Amino acid sequence: MFSKSPVHISIMLVTAIMGLMMALQFRVVNQMPAGIPTDRAKEIIAELKQVNREKENLTREIGDLEYKLEQLNRGKSEAMLALESELKKVRMSAGLVTVNGPGVEVVLDNPELQESQVPPELSVIQDQDLLSLVNELWGAGAEAISINGQRIVATSEIRLAAPFININTTRVVPPYQVLAIGNPETLAENLELPGGLLEYFRDMGFQVTVEKHDELTIPAYSPR
Amino acid sequence: MWMGIFLAAAGLAIGILIGFNIPVILPQDYAKYMSVAVLAALDSVFGGIRAAMEDKFDQGIFVSGFFSNALLAAGLTYIGDRLGIDLYMAAVVAFGVRLFQNLAIIRRYILKKKFK
Repeated sequence: MFSKSPVHISIMLVTAIMGLMMALQFRVVNQMPAGIPTDRAKEIIAELKQVNREKENLTREIGDLEYKLEQLNRGKSEAMLALESELKKVRMSAGLVTVNGPGVEVVLDNPELQESQVPPELSVIQDQDLLSLVNELWGAGAEAISINGQRIVATSEIRLAAPFININTTRVVPPYQVLAIGNPETLAENLELPGGLLEYFRDMGFQVTVEKHDELTIPAYSPR
Repeated sequence: MWMGIFLAAAGLAIGILIGFNIPVILPQDYAKYMSVAVLAALDSVFGGIRAAMEDKFDQGIFVSGFFSNALLAAGLTYIGDRLGIDLYMAAVVAFGVRLFQNLAIIRRYILKKKFK
């Protein structure tokens, strides 16, 4: 097919193409990092593949562990919430926080001297009277009690100290204002029971008033 | 005859010049195929020179042989790569042997001419 055209053109074309190929090849080989035989390259490729697979596995493991960590963290925050609400409850029942709620207010005062039939030494409100009143209120379901602003807690004492009564080592004087949070009806009914505590107080000549309140505030226990 | 050799050298020089100056670089993956193709091309050229010495030079055979040899060699290498056999060895051996044979025959012709 080329026999009609001049011989020299085809020779030149072919040799030019060969030169081109050789030059390209030369450049590529020169560019290749020397000293890496094909076998070694294959080995390295296999190694690379394995390392990649390992990496994939580890990545999956990371995801797994992160998921677990997240679960644990969520559990942790839930536990923290539970603990916090427990703490709040415990502080409330320990009397360490101010509480609000419905309840009754009992105001107890010494009898006026002239009117009393009993000797004045006996007709003064004793620590036992306050103790039994507090006891009665607890028994009627009171949740928090204070006397003249002194919160009654587990360690509160109500004792006679000379002519005064000490509560939480603080001196309290008549009239005694006893606040109790709880169901007002139940508390009042328990106190007003025939033959109950209030009747006894009145017999003794004490001035007693009981008031039901929808909203009472009982202060927190403040140790001195 | 001498004109042909001069033209061949000129073509080679042009080709090498172009090859070194074009901005494209062959990807290294294809370097293997190219190397076998170069070997085949070299064999074709020597075959052509030998044919010229024997006064049997045919342009068609020369040009078609050049391209088909190069393509076949590269193709063999590719297939060998796919099959996992170093099939390019076949091309290297075949073309290598023929290269030396051609070279030997050319040498003999030149020597014969010189001492006649």
